[in-house]
Amino acid sequence: MNLLDIKNLSIELTSHGENILAVDRVSLALKDGEIRGLVGESGSGKSILAQAIIGVLDDKWHVTADRFHWQGVDLLRLPLEERKQIITKDVAMIFQEPMSCLDPTNSIGEQIEEALDGSKFSGYFWQKAQQRKEAAAKLLHKVGIKQHDTCAKSYPHQLTNALCQRVMIAIALAKQPKLLIADEPTASMEATNQAQIFKLLESLNKLKNMSILLISHELEKISHWTDYLTVMYSGQFVEAGTTEQIFNTPFHPYTKALIASTPRASTNLIKKSLLHTLPGSIPSLQHLPIGCRLGPRCPNAQKKCVIAPQVESFQGHQVSCHFSHRKEY
Amino acid sequence: MASLIEVKDLSKKYKIKSNWFQKKAVTVLHPISFKLEAKETLAVIGEIGSGKSTLAKLLVGAARPTTGEISLNGQHLQTGNFKQRCQHVRMIFQNAADTLNPSLTIRQQLEEPLLLNTRLDEEQRNNMIRATLQKVGLLADHLHFYPHMFSGGQKQRISLARAIILQPQLVIFDEALASLDLSLRAQMINLLLKLQEQMGLAYLLISHDIDVVEHFSDKIMVLREGKVVEYGNTRDVLANPKDRYTRRLVLSQRKTKRK
Repeated sequence: MNLLDIKNLSIELTSHGENILAVDRVSLALKDGEIRGLVGESGSGKSILAQAIIGVLDDKWHVTADRFHWQGVDLLRLPLEERKQIITKDVAMIFQEPMSCLDPTNSIGEQIEEALDGSKFSGYFWQKAQQRKEAAAKLLHKVGIKQHDTCAKSYPHQLTNALCQRVMIAIALAKQPKLLIADEPTASMEATNQAQIFKLLESLNKLKNMSILLISHELEKISHWTDYLTVMYSGQFVEAGTTEQIFNTPFHPYTKALIASTPRASTNLIKKSLLHTLPGSIPSLQHLPIGCRLGPRCPNAQKKCVIAPQVESFQGHQVSCHFSHRKEY
Repeated sequence: MASLIEVKDLSKKYKIKSNWFQKKAVTVLHPISFKLEAKETLAVIGEIGSGKSTLAKLLVGAARPTTGEISLNGQHLQTGNFKQRCQHVRMIFQNAADTLNPSLTIRQQLEEPLLLNTRLDEEQRNNMIRATLQKVGLLADHLHFYPHMFSGGQKQRISLARAIILQPQLVIFDEALASLDLSLRAQMINLLLKLQEQMGLAYLLISHDIDVVEHFSDKIMVLREGKVVEYGNTRDVLANPKDRYTRRLVLSQRKTKRK
């Protein structure tokens, strides 16, 4: 059974009497114990989608979906309280810029202890406090911080970005979630630290069978770590499939351009030659093109593209395009 | 003929108070020397605190070097002489959007360096601004826009226009490409390569992204704790990294796992 099953999720923003469709009929299915990458450039609605999953969007946003199932339970039909209970128990999220997400006035230890489940401890209050401390130390060990004492005593500004992100992951692990949503966990981090964070996430996935939804704008970078990829553009679903399918046989012109625009060692590109790019820039939410939103920038665009294409599936490789590159492979 | 940029024994020390009576000197950058020709790109990579931003600061004149000198076309660049340096060495920062003044139009932003550094009259200035905007792929209509009316990639283009409007010889990018989206980054790289060919610019690129570095740069310098641990042609260094840090960096980004 799918852990998370979303079909045709739309998110609408009402502002100044206008309705803007920020996310347009996106489908996403997550199985138990997989790492799925959600790739899209800025403004593609990937962060909004993640926020819709954990349900932290405010009243301005209207979420509608044909199907929004968490382990077979339809979340959108549940009252808010029950929904919150399920989400806080099973889903955790880590954000980009961990420094700004941690409370600067509390020490790391206090913040981790706050996230722990109080009902698991027993005994008198001093015994509970001791257990709490031990549990926090254990969590820090789990994310690869060996000096738990020094770390627990320090404040966020005393730690590096990568260490803060580890602390964030530790806090996320406190409830032993089934799904971890990582929203650009390594943005503005150094390359070697990025690899460490990804390795940590991968080991958590392998050892604890925790599913991970990895959100990023760097297709190339996260592709080493993911099993499946979903690509979004400007709020619309573009393509989904296994990492190999997406990389070796990209069906959608957008995915193809994205892969071609990254210089790689494997493609024998002449040094300093011009890269393949799509013309134009990403449309803003106020000026979205009708139909397929890639339309004005797409090399394959034709008259038909003013009608949004339906999602087609070929052996698990889904694509949403009228003129896909499928027949070329 | 002298090289475009020649750096000799450039170093930087900071003094920190260690106790009441003594000051401790911390060396951020040990003496380094290198040369850079026109139309060449030097990439600088290293960990946080390895002195790569200090090097950029010294070159652009935002900090005073402790020892050493920088010469441009055989001419010595004096520290503190901004009039001379501003014309030839320009810099672009990581968040292009934050470096633009939100209360000025694009025309005013671009006019500022011209007013301060040249003696052009108004018409010449306007022509210059138009020509520069065209070079970076923006329209003359954009002159009267304010920064918030542009997207991230366009803002980056504007800061590039501001950097090249004085016809510099060296442009420094401090992580300027990292925050851009993939398709915009490719557009930007193409633009930079074109401009390098047209104007004979030399680039100094500070970056983490090995793939971009490999595609874009001719020479590479690896810094660790203020010391140059590797220096040479990009292809040679990356194909056969000797230093521990370089090896780790290359490995961490290349084929860590592709099942």
